[in-house]
Amino acid sequence: MVLRMAFRNVLRQKRRSVLTGLTIFGGFTLAVIFIGWADGSYNNIIDEFTRNRLGHIQIQEKTYFDRPSLYKTVDDPKAVSGVLKGIPEVESWSPRVVSAALAASGDKSAGIQIIGLDPEREAETTRFDRKIVRGRLMAGPGSKEAVIGRGLADILKAGPGDDLALLTQAADGSIAEDLFRITGVLSTGDDMSDRTSVHLNLKDAQNLLVLGDRVHQIVVTVPALGRVPAVARAIDRDLPDPSLRAVPWQDFARSFYEAMQADKAGLWVMLVVIVVIVGVGVLNTVLMSVLERRREYGLLKAVGTKPRHVVRLVLLEVLILSLTAVFVGSLVGLGVNAFLAEHGIKFAEGLTYGGMEFGTMRSELNARSFAIPLVTVLASALLVSLVPALRAGKTDPARTMRLH
Amino acid sequence: MTNHASDLIVTENLRKDYREDDIVVPAVRGVDLVIKEREFTALVGPSGSGKTTLLNIISGLDSPTEGRVWLKGKPISEMKGAELSDFRRDHIGFVFQAYNLIPVLSAEENIEYIMMLQGVPKNERRERVRKILGDVGLQGMGRRMPPKLSGGQQQRVAIARAMVSRPGLILADEPTANLDSETGAALLDIMRELNEKTGMTFLFSTHDRMVMDRADRIITLKDGRVARDEIRAENPIR
Ligand SMILES: Nc1ncnc2c1ncn2[C@@H]1O[C@H](COP(=O)(O)OP(=O)(O)O)[C@@H](O)[C@H]1O
Ligand SMILES: [Mg+2]
Repeated sequence: MVLRMAFRNVLRQKRRSVLTGLTIFGGFTLAVIFIGWADGSYNNIIDEFTRNRLGHIQIQEKTYFDRPSLYKTVDDPKAVSGVLKGIPEVESWSPRVVSAALAASGDKSAGIQIIGLDPEREAETTRFDRKIVRGRLMAGPGSKEAVIGRGLADILKAGPGDDLALLTQAADGSIAEDLFRITGVLSTGDDMSDRTSVHLNLKDAQNLLVLGDRVHQIVVTVPALGRVPAVARAIDRDLPDPSLRAVPWQDFARSFYEAMQADKAGLWVMLVVIVVIVGVGVLNTVLMSVLERRREYGLLKAVGTKPRHVVRLVLLEVLILSLTAVFVGSLVGLGVNAFLAEHGIKFAEGLTYGGMEFGTMRSELNARSFAIPLVTVLASALLVSLVPALRAGKTDPARTMRLH
Repeated sequence: MTNHASDLIVTENLRKDYREDDIVVPAVRGVDLVIKEREFTALVGPSGSGKTTLLNIISGLDSPTEGRVWLKGKPISEMKGAELSDFRRDHIGFVFQAYNLIPVLSAEENIEYIMMLQGVPKNERRERVRKILGDVGLQGMGRRMPPKLSGGQQQRVAIARAMVSRPGLILADEPTANLDSETGAALLDIMRELNEKTGMTFLFSTHDRMVMDRADRIITLKDGRVARDEIRAENPIR
């Protein structure tokens, strides 16, 4: 009977209930769509970023990340490849050699970083081929060709066709130097790395540095960003050499990860706005109806209803209204999210940035885009109703039932 | 204070001051009353004489500034919280001048509501509702919502609701004030009939002559004091 009363009370002030319901619905639905979209875009950006540069997971010697060194190597890349082949969720991988060096072209010189890689594997893993802005990729091993970053090309005033002398220390302690031919210039979108990067064939770099078959890192990508931590753990478990570790992007791209997390603060700001909108809307309605119905609460108390049952009635009315709004909002919000996750929004121009392409931005359909607004909206609606409800519970029947 | 077994209400030096800011309004100034079981008593007096205040205090809706009220030998004026609301619910039925019904509940749901609070099983509730609607002459109207009932019908539902929990005492504050005198007289006849049939005690305030005439006893209040207490010869009660 209490439930029936609450229902009928909600229906009694149809206009007001509908307006309040729409407020709750609007706040909730916006939050659902916003969170779905934000999660989708962040994943998009993260995926593009990691996929294009660093990969999702890197396999390195345990301490390489903190203090990189020429000598901290993956000694048997073949064995690691074998492990990676055995993990179905691994999409592709690419081994790299990394070392600091001095580069000179003409009368210019600069401190640089040699990155030795397999152009084909790298293209598959991090779309290396798409980053070339001038010239072409280096040819196969032994060609002694190099692709340099755009910033470095400016510093050295060198481009395709020019010679590049590299000077560095080899793994056997000797001084290594050799001459390479620049075939291409690339842009990764990361100016810092574009000012220092010299890409060589993996084999050429290994020869220069006297590394044999050893590499410094193996970059891995997986199809679904959300699976990165799990796949990293799986690789870690199977690695043949205990000195190696599979590190997820959250760890090796810490500052990027933190920037992404900080960006998500915008989400909380929006939730606060929604709490305020819903709170004010509900508060207004509940206050009005509690004031209007003082005599009714007085009557309920006079016939023996306990204060907490009056409070419960008021809260129940708010709950019915909120749940209805949330139910409709879920259908609409999750519907929109599902659509945007499937079809996305296509940018006419196709946003490109450092070889990353944001042609289509998609939403993500996940549980939290429903759960967070649900909890927020219900909690704020009930919370603001608490004070008026308690007031209704305290109604003094002797006073309110007097005719004035 | 001597309590007799048949004394239903006993008030002892009852006083009530309303305080608003610094102004003290003495509404009831020393009322000693004894109402016996089965009485059918009218409380009369000009507007502002303290009738509503007195009824509210007797029913436990309000508390006295001084003095005490016993109901069936229990000091209701000393009770608080859940004890008070349970005692009131089980022993007192109250009818207000107007706005007696919960607007979103039908006539029968309004009557059922109190029994639901008391935890009366559903079947018995239904049965009692059906019977009491007949007693107040509203058979077949149980499904109507309050706005679809006339003033007199609403008051009859209110009386049915006050009585359905079998409280022993029905207090009614000007139950006929919003009715025309014919409808009011008819309501009184129903109350009288139920008083005789069930033995429940009725104490009601009024300033309608026709209503007063139907009482066994008329207590007249003036400026918060009992000015006259008259037992009517034509309606002997003791
Ligand atoms: N809440 C209140 N505050 C101040 N004075 C009140 C209040 N309620 C009633 N009174 C005063 O108490 C006196 C008695 O009122 P009441 O019991 O309503 O009399 P009646 O029911 O006989 O008209 C009146 O003078 C009235 O103005
Ligand atoms: Mg009055």
